Amino acid sequence: MKKRILTRFTAIMFIIGLMAAIQYNTINEPNLRDTRDEWEIRQELSREKQLHSQLLSEIGSLDETLNKYRAAADASPEQALRETAGELRKSAGLSEAKGPGIEVLVEPSLEAVAMGLEIEGISPDLLIRLVNEINRYNGLYVSIDGKRIINTTAIRDINGQTAVNTKPVDTPPFSIKIISESMEDSKKLYNHLLASRILDDFYIDNLTLNVSEPQNELVIEAYDGTVDTKYLQASEGE
Amino acid sequence: MWLSILGLILGISLGLLTDIQIPPEYANYLSIAVLASLDTLFGGIRAHLQQVYDDKVFVSGFFFNIVLAAGLAFLGVHLGVDLYLAAIFAFGVRLFQNIAVIRRIILAKWAEKKEVRGTI
Repeated sequence: MKKRILTRFTAIMFIIGLMAAIQYNTINEPNLRDTRDEWEIRQELSREKQLHSQLLSEIGSLDETLNKYRAAADASPEQALRETAGELRKSAGLSEAKGPGIEVLVEPSLEAVAMGLEIEGISPDLLIRLVNEINRYNGLYVSIDGKRIINTTAIRDINGQTAVNTKPVDTPPFSIKIISESMEDSKKLYNHLLASRILDDFYIDNLTLNVSEPQNELVIEAYDGTVDTKYLQASEGE
Repeated sequence: MWLSILGLILGISLGLLTDIQIPPEYANYLSIAVLASLDTLFGGIRAHLQQVYDDKVFVSGFFFNIVLAAGLAFLGVHLGVDLYLAAIFAFGVRLFQNIAVIRRIILAKWAEKKEVRGTI
């Protein structure tokens, strides 16, 4: 009799243990299925590869700076620091930028002029889309109507007027200057902008984009405001 | 006693090692089933200690409770009422009661043994 009870208990305990373990498995690792097809995985791979090469080039440039520091450590550390500060200012948009680039003229569309429509200012949404499009195709430095775009630039509506860096943008026509890393990138951006759907978006707002041929030497003015670094924190590095 | 613990360990290790998983939608049912089986188990231990253990009641109670609890949860899902809470509540209360009774019985037995030893 006692033996039978023990067997029953053992069997029940076994089932309880099994159920608890299964429950544990289920709760802890929900079965996530990878439903991406080959193409999506390819895209992911190419994204990662791009990131890889970007990181490699970053490492290269940092190594270069390091070497420069080492070489200049004895001679003139001040010079090296000055150069670095200059580079940082350039990438932050605080100094004038020169390089190959294109100029985009935003104008009222011919139809709007012919129909005698009142030309309204460009909307912030459209401008943001354009800037995103430019950034997607490696636009390095951008200025809109003489206002330099930096990391903290806000494109928004202020009292009914579209403003960049809190300064209002002119009603069209105005120009947008874009500098790219190389002439090749500029050409790519030029072709992309010519074929982009954003032209249609501009046309809906009665505007046209007039993209100029890539130029070798384009100058973009520096950001003229002060950069607010109130919320900046030192990164914890080596 | 040790054999049953061995059974428990065997079940847990088998479950963990084979890495069996059920769809997350059914995790609710399984949790209730675990609760129901624990309730039956402690009920069985109590009955055994009180010398009213019946094999048929124990085994049928085990399966019936699990099915009833899962059925209640299933019904609750389809009616939009959290009926599984009722099962959890009932089993939870019973679990505590059973464990309390088991504790009392063991304490009483222990005190009795001590007394007997004292008189000797």
